[in-house]
Amino acid sequence: MTTTKTLFGEVREQIGDRGKIEVLIGIPTFNNAKTVEPVLRAVKDGVNKVCPEASVLVVNADAGSQDGTQAAIKQAVGPDTPTAFVQHLAGDFFPGPISLQALSESGVPGREHAFRTFFTIAEELEVKACVVIDGNFRSLSSDWVEVLLRPVVEKAVDYVAPLFRRARYEGSLTNCIIYPLNRALYGKQMRYQSGGGYGFSGKLASLYLTKNVWEGEAARYGIDSWLTTVAVAEGCEVSQGFLGTKIHDTTLTGIELSILLAQAVGALFHLMEAYQEVWEGRTGSSPVPQFGPPYEPGPEGGAVNVERMVRGFQQGLRDLLPIWEIILAPETLAGILALGLLEAEEFRFPEALWVQTIFDFALAYHEKALHREHLLKSLTPLYLGQTASLVLGTREGSPEDVERAIETLCRKFESMKPFLTQRWRFP
Amino acid sequence: MSTLWQEAVIEAFRETTVRIAHLLPKLLALFTFLALGLAAGWLMKVLLLRLLKAFRFDALCERFGLGSSLAKTGMHQSPSHLIGRLSFWLVFLLFAFMGIDALDLTATTNMMSSIIDFLPHTIAAVVLLLFGVLLANFMAEAALIATVNAQIEEARIIASFIRWGVLLFTAAMVLTQLGIAKEIVVAAFSIMFGGVMLALAIGIGLGGQSIAKDFLEQRLRRKKFERDEMSHI
Repeated sequence: MTTTKTLFGEVREQIGDRGKIEVLIGIPTFNNAKTVEPVLRAVKDGVNKVCPEASVLVVNADAGSQDGTQAAIKQAVGPDTPTAFVQHLAGDFFPGPISLQALSESGVPGREHAFRTFFTIAEELEVKACVVIDGNFRSLSSDWVEVLLRPVVEKAVDYVAPLFRRARYEGSLTNCIIYPLNRALYGKQMRYQSGGGYGFSGKLASLYLTKNVWEGEAARYGIDSWLTTVAVAEGCEVSQGFLGTKIHDTTLTGIELSILLAQAVGALFHLMEAYQEVWEGRTGSSPVPQFGPPYEPGPEGGAVNVERMVRGFQQGLRDLLPIWEIILAPETLAGILALGLLEAEEFRFPEALWVQTIFDFALAYHEKALHREHLLKSLTPLYLGQTASLVLGTREGSPEDVERAIETLCRKFESMKPFLTQRWRFP
Repeated sequence: MSTLWQEAVIEAFRETTVRIAHLLPKLLALFTFLALGLAAGWLMKVLLLRLLKAFRFDALCERFGLGSSLAKTGMHQSPSHLIGRLSFWLVFLLFAFMGIDALDLTATTNMMSSIIDFLPHTIAAVVLLLFGVLLANFMAEAALIATVNAQIEEARIIASFIRWGVLLFTAAMVLTQLGIAKEIVVAAFSIMFGGVMLALAIGIGLGGQSIAKDFLEQRLRRKKFERDEMSHI
């Protein structure tokens, strides 16, 4: 990682002395020449809608593109807007197959380096607002930038998280673990959808830089997993911006589910340790302001192979039992064992049991009962069971039924939180 | 006659007395060493236990599956207690050997120097063994989780294969380190490893062609047709 002074010197060299910069637009890219041009045009239009008089700096943090992404950016931005290019990853970067620090679901390697670059420059320039948008979007419009930027510029909001219209059952990991657990812990009804676009205040950008999340264990988890959690836990003014449908090019595909799960849930558990004092004292939850059009559930999605999910759960039950015996409380394990007797069509994961399972995993992570990467990955079959249960329980109903099921699950997490708090402190 | 008899008795008595006089301090030295060994061993055990407790060694071993491995072998003591006991006996035996050496017996001459010469090999072998068991458990656990998540039916067989492979390799290294039948161990390991690989190659190449084909077809087809189209995050 380039040091702050070198990095800023590099940017200064490229843009010259432009005086006060008010808005920083961060574009992380990796071989996005095909999509980055329309993205930047939409971004420019969006900024012009919100604050046409503001001085803007575009920063591109590239992970080593070989397809002319930089040239496409130069062409799209034009000579009027100052633009800085930072190459944030060395050519020898290779995300190891074992490491959790593999690839984010956006398909851009080393995203945390890109974000750190944006925040560092934002802090040095003392910008008022910072918007980060991935360069691989196909569905981006100027409205997105408006939704992400306006609350920060006009309403003194610190953080605008993206909220997308997604097909039914899309983002099941977020809906079954990340959203309910974060909501129960920190008391904010943020949907915790990650990736794509974010809006930050200059103050929050500086705050992120002071947090111990860039190095060590925390850095092993993807940045999208902890941006929202840190903002909520730090008590910042947070909000959500509904951006509509998300369509993007993934340059790197095939990220294994267990790695994705370990990244997202690992970040959550890691921050539970860091923010213990914060979440222990919070009860219930409250909605957060939402910008853009009203949120609406998505349409029918692609095929969901429930039988395969149930099979995955049953195999976990058969083969991972010695590992689960270390992680789960005896009563939780007894409940899970009983699920092994159910036929695929009758399969249901009771809400209370699922909540108990997640709490047991969080406690085992806290107590270091097992190697942490193994612990997190061994949750995968159970998660498949929960997802299968959600699909089986709602597939005959409307999209609103799925939303209702998620809401019920969230309330269960909230009502059972005292159990977690007690055992966290007194194992 | 009487004088000769008297002289013989006196001489024998004197010699025995001298021998006893020579042996007594050595015996005393032996008992002193034994007592010192007990005290030093106990002290070492207590200090080591406290140190291991401070570093949460048992929890660490549990994380790497050493605790459960010990339980499987019938040892129900915690790893730190086991190391404590081992250190006690090691220190005690060291002092005991010093005591035996102090007796200056012909049979035990140079025993101490031989033991001290062999000590580094023993320590290296113990460390190797510990590391090997930890590595075997860790790799087997990682393989088991990965294969279960990939929904490979033979997950447990693969994990066992990895565990025993690493343990076998460790055993060969430990025996080589101890210098026990070095050539035989290396040859046996090479033959065994090569044999297993050859058997697998012949087995799949000749006897299990259709099974391998079916398996690959099943895996690839399942991937193709059963893959979810949903994004999980």
